[in-house]
Amino acid sequence: MNQAEISKLVSQLRVRVNPRLRKLKSAGGPEARLDKLRKTVTALIKHERIELNYPRADESRMYAERLISDAIRYGDCHRETMEMADFWLIEKQLVHKLFKVLAPRFVNYSTAYTRMYTAPSVYPEVVKRAVLELRGNPYPSLVPDMHNNRNLIHNVLLDEAKKAYRTQKYEEIAAKIDAAEKSVSEEARK
Amino acid sequence: MMNNINVILARSMVASFPRVATCSKRLTSSLSSEAVRQNHLFDIEQKKQKESVGRIEKIQIEYEGPTDKATLTMNKHISTPFDCAKHLGERIADQSAVALLNNDTLWHMHKPLPDSCKLQFLHYKIPQPTAVNKIFWRSCSFILGAVANAAFKDTVKVQLHSFPSPNVRSGSFVYDVQLDLADWKPTEKELKVLSIEMIKFCQQSHAIEHMNVSTELALDLFRNNTHKYQQIPDIAAHNNGKITLFRAGHHIDISRGPMVTNTNHLGRVTIANVIKLNTDVPGGPIYRFQGVALPKSIMLNHFAFGLLEERARNLNPARIPGSQESFEEDNSFVAQVTA
Repeated sequence: MNQAEISKLVSQLRVRVNPRLRKLKSAGGPEARLDKLRKTVTALIKHERIELNYPRADESRMYAERLISDAIRYGDCHRETMEMADFWLIEKQLVHKLFKVLAPRFVNYSTAYTRMYTAPSVYPEVVKRAVLELRGNPYPSLVPDMHNNRNLIHNVLLDEAKKAYRTQKYEEIAAKIDAAEKSVSEEARK
Repeated sequence: MMNNINVILARSMVASFPRVATCSKRLTSSLSSEAVRQNHLFDIEQKKQKESVGRIEKIQIEYEGPTDKATLTMNKHISTPFDCAKHLGERIADQSAVALLNNDTLWHMHKPLPDSCKLQFLHYKIPQPTAVNKIFWRSCSFILGAVANAAFKDTVKVQLHSFPSPNVRSGSFVYDVQLDLADWKPTEKELKVLSIEMIKFCQQSHAIEHMNVSTELALDLFRNNTHKYQQIPDIAAHNNGKITLFRAGHHIDISRGPMVTNTNHLGRVTIANVIKLNTDVPGGPIYRFQGVALPKSIMLNHFAFGLLEERARNLNPARIPGSQESFEEDNSFVAQVTA
C-alpha cells in the first residue's frame, strides 16, 4: 500500500469536469484550441463577467477553476503554479491580480469560484450562449434576488407567518408560567 | 366519485366556455341564466363604448424598460398597455402584472390609454413589489368570488357580498359570500374540490377585462344580488357616479381595481378555509372564504407553502360586514385600517 492517494495529487474542482475534452473546431489543432481557451481564461480573469458560446464557456471554465485553485493552494512562490499562470494569462499584469486579488477573495469559498448561466440567443441564431463570471464580482446580479428581498410576496407571507407562530408560542409560555405561579401561591396558602 | 364526497359542491360547474356571444347553445346551457344575462349586457355596453370613440387619434407612448426604451404610436381610447406590451415582446406581455403611467398611476393592463404618457410595466420580482402584491391579492379575491359563485349546486343559493381591501400581511385573501346553508363546516375534501376549481379556472387563462359603466347599468347588472345592489349607489357616490367592473371568463364583479392582466398569473392556489361569520346581514348566514396563492413566477417549496396554508386557515382579521357600514373602496367596505 505504498501508492499515493491519487485524489490528493491535483486539486479537486468544484465544477463538473468533462470526461472528453471539446475540440472547439480549431483549424490549427490542439495548439490552436489551447490558444482559444487562453484568450477566454484571460478575458474572464480580466473582466470577471463575459458572454460567449456555451461549449467554449464550459470548456474554459474548468481551466480557470484549476488555475485559481492552484493559486490558492500553492501561492505565488511555487514555480510550477507561476509557470501555469504565465501560460494561461496572456496579459501579464493579470498574474498579479490572480495571486493578490483573486486568491485572497476565494480562499474561504466552499463553492466553485465561477458561475455560469445559459444566456438567451436572438431568434435566427440557434447557437447556445452562456454567461461566465467570477463569483464576488462588482456587477449587479444577473438573476433577481429572491431571498434577501423581503418585499416579495412569498417573503412577506413567510415573515408574517413566522411572527404569528412566535406570538402563539409566547402566549403558550406565558400561560404555562401563570399556571405554575398559581399552583405555587395555592400551596403557600395551605 | 365526487358525489359521495360532498352533496353541496357541483364539480362540473366551472368548465371552459368561450365568450357568450360566440359560443354555441350547448355550451351556454350549463351557465346560469343570470350569468348569460349579465354577460350579454356587458358585451353590449363594451361594444357601445368602443363605437363611441369616433375618429381615431394617435398618441405617443414612451416606454421605459429596465434596459431599453421605445416610443410607440398608439390609438387614443383604444390601445391598452397590454397592446403596447405585445409590441415589445411576448415575454413582457406575459409577465407584466400592471402598468405604471408617468411614474405615479397604476393602470390596469386592459384599460385603454386616454393620452400620451410614459409607460412602465411592473411584475412580481421588481425590487419594490408592494403595490403589485396588493393588486395580486385583490385579483385573487376577485377570482375566489368567481369560484364561489360557480362551485355550488343549483340547490344552494349563493350571493356574493363583498371583499375587504387586500392585505397581504393578513396571510389570506378573502371573499364574503352569503350561502343559504344553516351551519356549513367544509370538510378537507370539499376544500380540496374548491381549490381545484380555482386552479382550473385560473388555468383557463381568462384575460381580466375592465369597464367603467353608469350607475343605472350597474344596478341592472346586479339587480338579482341584493347586497351589490345596495352597495352600488354608495360606491358610485365616491367615484364620480361611475362603477368600475371587471370580468374574468363569465364572472363580472365590482372593484376599484386595478387587477392583474390574466387569471393565469396565479400559480400555487389553495382555498384554505370557509368560516361562518357572526353578522346581522339580512338574508342568511355570511361565510368568509379564505385562500392563499402565489404568482406563477414565484416558486416555493411545498413545506414552506404548507406553513402559509396552515396560517390561512385562521380567521382573517379583516372587518366583518354588518348591516350598517360605509362602502368606500371598490366593492368593498373599507376596513378602517387599510395596510
